[in-house]
Amino acid sequence: MKPVFKWVRVLQISGLAERTYILRFEEPESAAVIQPGQFCMISPLPGSSNVFLPRPFSYYRVISRSVIEILFRTFGRATRWMANLAPGDEIGVFGPLGNTFNLAPGPGNAILVGGGIGIPPIVMLAERLSALGRLKRLDLVYGESTASRVIYLAPVLPASVRCHLTTEDGSAGQRGLVTAAVESILKECRDPLAVYTCGPKSMMGALSRILDPEQVTLFETSCEENMACGMGICQGCVIPVRTGGDSVRYLRCCAEGPVFNGFEVQWA
Amino acid sequence: MGLDLTVNCLGLPFQNPVLVASGTFGYGDEYYEVMPFSELGGLVTKTITAARREGNPPPRIVETDSGMLNSIGLANVGLRAFLEEKLPWIAAHAGQARVVVNVAGFSVEEFIEVGTAVGGAKGVDALEVNLGCPNVRAGYIHFGADELSVRQVVAGILKNVRLPLIAKLSPNVTDIGALAEAAVDAGADGLSLINTLPGMKIDPLKRRPVISMGFGGLSGPAIRPVGVACVYKVYQQMQRMEAPVPIVGIGGIASGRDALEYILAGASLVQVGTANFLHPRAAANVLQEIAAFCESEGVAKITDLVGLAHER
Ligand SMILES: Cc1cc2nc3c(=O)[nH]c(=O)nc-3n(C[C@H](O)[C@H](O)[C@H](O)COP(=O)(O)OP(=O)(O)OC[C@H]3O[C@@H](n4cnc5c(N)ncnc54)[C@H](O)[C@@H]3O)c2cc1C
Ligand SMILES: Cc1cc2nc3c(=O)[nH]c(=O)nc-3n(C[C@H](O)[C@H](O)[C@H](O)COP(=O)(O)O)c2cc1C
Ligand code: FES
Repeated sequence: MKPVFKWVRVLQISGLAERTYILRFEEPESAAVIQPGQFCMISPLPGSSNVFLPRPFSYYRVISRSVIEILFRTFGRATRWMANLAPGDEIGVFGPLGNTFNLAPGPGNAILVGGGIGIPPIVMLAERLSALGRLKRLDLVYGESTASRVIYLAPVLPASVRCHLTTEDGSAGQRGLVTAAVESILKECRDPLAVYTCGPKSMMGALSRILDPEQVTLFETSCEENMACGMGICQGCVIPVRTGGDSVRYLRCCAEGPVFNGFEVQWA
Repeated sequence: MGLDLTVNCLGLPFQNPVLVASGTFGYGDEYYEVMPFSELGGLVTKTITAARREGNPPPRIVETDSGMLNSIGLANVGLRAFLEEKLPWIAAHAGQARVVVNVAGFSVEEFIEVGTAVGGAKGVDALEVNLGCPNVRAGYIHFGADELSVRQVVAGILKNVRLPLIAKLSPNVTDIGALAEAAVDAGADGLSLINTLPGMKIDPLKRRPVISMGFGGLSGPAIRPVGVACVYKVYQQMQRMEAPVPIVGIGGIASGRDALEYILAGASLVQVGTANFLHPRAAANVLQEIAAFCESEGVAKITDLVGLAHER
């Protein structure tokens, strides 16, 4: 489906954890076709906010034929504007945009890693991979800095997903970084493996260094960069990617991405 | 009698005065399904240089108050790929819209090479010369900053090319009027005003500029008063010249009223830039609002409004 721009009304907005909210709106056209990894650009009605550029947000869940959820955390101007929206307010939604995670990782195991507010596309991917039912085992590692930020995922995750929670300060789940949790899963299973991740650059870069390309046949990372147009026009959102040999190319996060081969992205 | 939105300038018929600006509409194809540029006065393509350019490292863009900064580094497919892969598609989908190809170089010779090649290609209605490009041999000062470079580039291309040439000037100069005059003197058929303004945003937590290159070009509503003033000033200058040329107004246009400011200041055509990123149909909305304004104000011909803000 070609992306469409729509003014839609907010159905619901609710707090889930510290600085973390769910935004629900109705958009039947996209709801029918959204794939895990895709995103939309959200913008205010002209004059209703001092937010200027639209902002990218991954789709978190499609909860009925027409209702879509975004999960977001407040950082600055745009996300604070969003947190103050009320049901009935109008927002601009442009989507679906970007590529998707590979949904045919082959038989074997998959580890999904969500760091902080990188979790939304990982949840949609877990739902989809589990529904497809081709995997032997599906682990989801979710890391936050501290317990107050942790989103309670049990109600939205399929029962077959083995969930591992880590916090940096140990206030919930296992103490430490997601990489340690991933390493212990890697020790348990010897099968070919797919690893999917979305989170801070530092986390995804660290994962790329601990994963062995011999064992991990598919390593997909959902990347982030400042965006303006969201559909490949402004060239503003590029990610440095080593494609074949050592030459680095700048690929547009919104068009060739946001999902890239994590072994090819130049992390530092 | 219906409202007449057509504009004849640069020796070309334009079905309406609203174009989309270079670098903000790609090569016309990405947005086509949502916003076919054939509805508009014209499409100005992303700047083309001789060789393909990968562009600057990220971050390349950031939001500012009422605008944005960009430092894309003129990333583009390069002359050959443009002529072979992009231009035929554009020409086939233009309908009544004019195809304006924006060209640049990092030396006078490169400007002439690219301008000449594009000027000889089928499907191009006009050239827009991006004089905001840095001159590698002159310490990276942009070509539009000195009269001699402006003359060399404009006259150099026109020696080989018959198409109308529009010189696109940057406002980052002491006297834009003098540079406009130099361009017209050298043979430019029109002037595009303005390109982005230099700007910077610094992240206090990181103690570093947000954009990787430090400086970026400021665009959006924040620069509109600067653009309107430049058009007003250059229009005055044109009235004093023997053979004045038309002006294309650019900078922060997001509504019909914004466009009318430029037209009243003296622009015959306008270009919508950054606003395309906020809404893919921004340019069509601008056009519709211009029409609505004319109808409610009893204006029969859009060209009747050009330059009306000047004292008579
Ligand atoms: C493809 C894609 C999908 C995304 N999906 C989601 C999503 O599902 N949920 C979500 O909450 N966000 C998501 N984001 C990030 C989101 O777009 C930004 O958080 C948002 O643009 C911030 O805008 P702002 O004006 O609130 O903050 P800004 O004013 O732009 O930023 C304020 C400060 O916070 C920092 N900052 C901004 N965003 C982040 C971040 N995500 N992590 C760490 N630091 C940050 C900035 O560097 C800056 O210093 C996604 C981004 C991309 C590219
Ligand atoms: C992301 C971006 C890329 C641009 N690229 C070019 C370019 O390649 N060549 C050019 O002449 N102008 C370029 N411009 C400048 C615009 O064409 C326009 O002159 C400027 O942005 C002011 O108009 P606006 O405020 O409506 O955007 C670019 C602007 C932006 C925001
Ligand atoms: S945001 Fe414009 S190219 Fe990606």
